[in-house]
Amino acid sequence: MDEGYPMKKFRYLIYKDYLLLKRDVAGLLLMFLMPVILVILMTLLQQSTFQAITDASVPLLLVNNDQGKLGGTIDKEIESSGIFRVDRQIKGKTPSLEELEKEVASSRYTLGIYIPENTTVDIQKNVARYVLSAFSGEEKLPALDRVELIIFVDPTTKASFYTAIMSTLKERTQKIEFAYILKEITRQVNDISPIPISTAGFSGEQVYIDIRDARLEGKNLVPTPVQHNVPAWSLFAVFFIVISLSGSIIRERQDGSFSRLLTMPCSYTEYLLSKAIVFTVVALIQFVLIFLIGVFIFPLFGLDSLKLGTSPPALIVLALSSAIAAIGYGIAIGNIANTYHQSSVFGAISIVIMAAIGGVWIPTFIMSEPMRKMGLFSPMHWGLSGFLDVFLQDAGIKAVLPESGIMLLFGLACFAIAVTFNYRRRLDV
Amino acid sequence: MGNKFAIETIDLKKTYKGKSHPTLDGLSLRIPYGSLFGLLAPNGAGKTTAINIICGLRKYDSGKVFIEGHDLSDGMKAIKPLLGLVPQDIALFPTLTAYENLKIFGGLYGIEKPLLEKRIDQLLELFDLSASRHSYINRFSGGMKRRVNMIAGMLHAPRILILDEPTVGVDAQSRIMILEKLIEINRSGTTILFISHYLEEAEHICTEVAFMDNGSVICQGPPADLIDAYKPCDSMESIYLTLTGKWMRDTQ
Repeated sequence: MDEGYPMKKFRYLIYKDYLLLKRDVAGLLLMFLMPVILVILMTLLQQSTFQAITDASVPLLLVNNDQGKLGGTIDKEIESSGIFRVDRQIKGKTPSLEELEKEVASSRYTLGIYIPENTTVDIQKNVARYVLSAFSGEEKLPALDRVELIIFVDPTTKASFYTAIMSTLKERTQKIEFAYILKEITRQVNDISPIPISTAGFSGEQVYIDIRDARLEGKNLVPTPVQHNVPAWSLFAVFFIVISLSGSIIRERQDGSFSRLLTMPCSYTEYLLSKAIVFTVVALIQFVLIFLIGVFIFPLFGLDSLKLGTSPPALIVLALSSAIAAIGYGIAIGNIANTYHQSSVFGAISIVIMAAIGGVWIPTFIMSEPMRKMGLFSPMHWGLSGFLDVFLQDAGIKAVLPESGIMLLFGLACFAIAVTFNYRRRLDV
Repeated sequence: MGNKFAIETIDLKKTYKGKSHPTLDGLSLRIPYGSLFGLLAPNGAGKTTAINIICGLRKYDSGKVFIEGHDLSDGMKAIKPLLGLVPQDIALFPTLTAYENLKIFGGLYGIEKPLLEKRIDQLLELFDLSASRHSYINRFSGGMKRRVNMIAGMLHAPRILILDEPTVGVDAQSRIMILEKLIEINRSGTTILFISHYLEEAEHICTEVAFMDNGSVICQGPPADLIDAYKPCDSMESIYLTLTGKWMRDTQ
């Protein structure tokens, strides 16, 4: 036996695991083909849903019976908002109030707006009464005519959507009313006042609302479907290695080849390390493959190309630590489970749960608070959070060390549990 | 102590957790150097536990085990190269070829590549498997698998070869061939511990046998001496039934 024997021996173990993996066609399909299909399908699906929401135009039936300026301005504003697809007639005829209600009630339109006749005139009269009353020093406000704008809403519309649309619609119509009333007051005051006043430079928008993405310590930016799905499904694929890895450990234990290996100059730790190395290489290939699909193949499907951030070392550290976490978990399952059936069922279910709470299927930013808290216990969440930091904020190695560290610890803890469990319970040596 | 025998166990005891009866209850076994030793026992007598302990796959509660004078409690490092195990199950990788299996097992014993390839060729030839060297194990017949299983245990030319029921489930031709090869290997100086249910086989090929029951050896000696000692028994089978009884010994 020469000095290089331990390395040579280890090379044979790796050669064995490489050959076994190479011949496991079903396992390879599960590890490579499934995630490729999933990442493309899920991204396309989420992208189209995203577009459907953002590009959607809400069908609106507008009946403007006002012959004055106010009705015309409301009509013009709604049309130019880009939110609505505006129709004004049904079969070449302007609908009545009842017909408008019927159209919306039958869900052909989500919204219906009815601007009654003489709306502009009625508002002008109201303003005139108000101005006269103000200038005559009367304390009591004059009686005003009721000017009613009627909005019908499809009752099947979801509450959240209804709230969003109604607030937009109210905001726009009130803005128009305010501008018109201000203008009308100015005109009527100027008719009776010796000193003309002007509100031309006055804007109703005195309070500016600055909408920004909420960040907690620089985090919580919202990823695009591509930025979310590529790392999410890469992690899912890497964790799916658990099925193949634990299966191979159990098969070797059941067919006796594992016992034979232990009667040879080969320790249990060496046996597991060999598997860990081979499957780490597989996991890294999975990452590279899915990321390349994100960069080069996605644009062929009309999706954005994945931008990998500015720190390749951070990506490598995250990929490696995710692989170690997944492999440690697979080794633990392979040792604790008694049968292949147990390991495959438990492995698959636990990975699906980890993926679900970890934000692989549904991004965590749209989850409820309790679900988000649960997600903090998923190794896939740790990995995903690290990758999103790199993609969205150009994070470097230092920034992803907490996520990488916890995945590494998880993997090593699983490995230790596997070795301890095996020695104490199974081998009893 | 222990240097006179290839394998020696002294008062070996082992009780599994949750079991009220010991599986090994003071097993004292002495297997001389160069012998072809048959260990014969009914189901559940503790022979697999004994083999697992000898091969370092299980720990024991008390007693001593020596392999060519090496105390098992000092660790397996010096012992592992001396032993070759042919388990009852086909302990091979079914999706690898016969050659790939043997290359891996031989490589793990640290055999240099040229020597390893020579050994593989010789043993495949000896067991009439040269033509199937690049076929996958899962396409082999039961007899062929048994033969590759044996080769895998003897690639590193162990000084002690342990075979657990090597002829189970094979046809007559394969069985005869396996037994002939075992005799040949034993004649070349290898100590063989042979475990079998086929008592005729043991009588035919073993230089010494031990009957084991309830976790301990109940008698030991060369087959001819035992037949003399247990008259009117005229075969190993009748001695076996006399000593162990006729009731079923199925265990879980």
